[in-house]
Amino acid sequence: MRFSNISNDFNSYQQLITFYEENKDEFFLNIQLDINNFFCANVSAVLGAILDKLILNANNIHFRSIDDKIKEILKKNDFLSFYGYNSEVDIHNTTIKYKKILPTDGKYFVNYIEKELIDSNLSILPRMSKGIKEGIIEAIYEVFVNAQIHSQTKYIYSCGQFFPGSNELFFTLVDTGISIKNCVNKRFKSNLTSVQAIKWALVDRNTTKEHITGGIGLALLKDFIKNNRGLMQIISNDGYYSLDDGREVYKLFAGQFPGTVVTIKFKTDDKHHYSLKNEKDINFENIF
Amino acid sequence: MEKKTITISVYNIIADKTAMDVDQGQKIFERIDKAFKESLYIDVSFQNIELITTAFLNTAFGQLYRDHKEDFIREHLKTSNLTNSGMIKLKKVVETAKLYYKDPKALEQSIKDILED
Repeated sequence: MRFSNISNDFNSYQQLITFYEENKDEFFLNIQLDINNFFCANVSAVLGAILDKLILNANNIHFRSIDDKIKEILKKNDFLSFYGYNSEVDIHNTTIKYKKILPTDGKYFVNYIEKELIDSNLSILPRMSKGIKEGIIEAIYEVFVNAQIHSQTKYIYSCGQFFPGSNELFFTLVDTGISIKNCVNKRFKSNLTSVQAIKWALVDRNTTKEHITGGIGLALLKDFIKNNRGLMQIISNDGYYSLDDGREVYKLFAGQFPGTVVTIKFKTDDKHHYSLKNEKDINFENIF
Repeated sequence: MEKKTITISVYNIIADKTAMDVDQGQKIFERIDKAFKESLYIDVSFQNIELITTAFLNTAFGQLYRDHKEDFIREHLKTSNLTNSGMIKLKKVVETAKLYYKDPKALEQSIKDILED
């Protein structure tokens, strides 16, 4: 498969879904990949999840050609270490490592985020306010916990990339579990499409959990991204949602992604005072 | 009669400065629920907790509204050292829980609403 530009947009995800669809029923094949154009490093999480599905069918993955600059980044973020390459040190501190995490291993995920985003020398840190830093980390945790609770996935795949020039931090979490549509339809014995299911999941207080409340995390995340003027994308089966600079788009892919992807772009130079936003509306004495 | 108040330290129970997942929340819920059954007054302390998710708060506090009356919870429960963002999330969790347990079937209507959208 020869990928053209892979960034964080509908067409890039379509290329990855097409690649998965073309190979998902193959067994014992040598699957060749060529990545010679732009490849946004956070998308490693999506490609890694797809490749794991293909490896499960005893296929071999071979990177036939990779542009030198892309190879350097994908070695720095450890993605290529999963495919026979050595890791490389990231002296510029712009990569956030590619990880495969067991859903039960929340503590490991927290340590990873602390190492990559809090304690690291990532070049964003000095420029971020405390409010935005906490907001970003809590947003990432909300997405992880959602996958942990609902997806029934074997692994949660995670990767990020920081672009210092534009003050943008991209972070992607992927699961190869039952998808939002199947989760909602199973719970309510309904027949929603992928797009309808994503739309439903984004409504404040909607949850597939039984006998317990939920459904606040994604709605809060949406508000946060709107205020931050960032980007949020959800890909689940053939459904696509994006919230980009306040504008919402729903689309359908040709083919199905085998699970759910959440990509978030944060503006790291944001000066918004998040935690104080609704403070005046809260009676702190009588919260219950 | 003197109020019997106990402090539940989230940090002590989950042994972490990040209150993230439902398992951690469940531990706090069980402590509060047990103390409520003894009609104790509780201060849930978030001292040394830096980051909190809504999933944690839903599990720790949301489900209290399933088994206990609002008035009882308001009288017997308070929090301390909760960050402002944590407080905003907790308020949202509490409002959601009150609505949810008043009408658990309302979620099924939300599916119909999406289909009619």
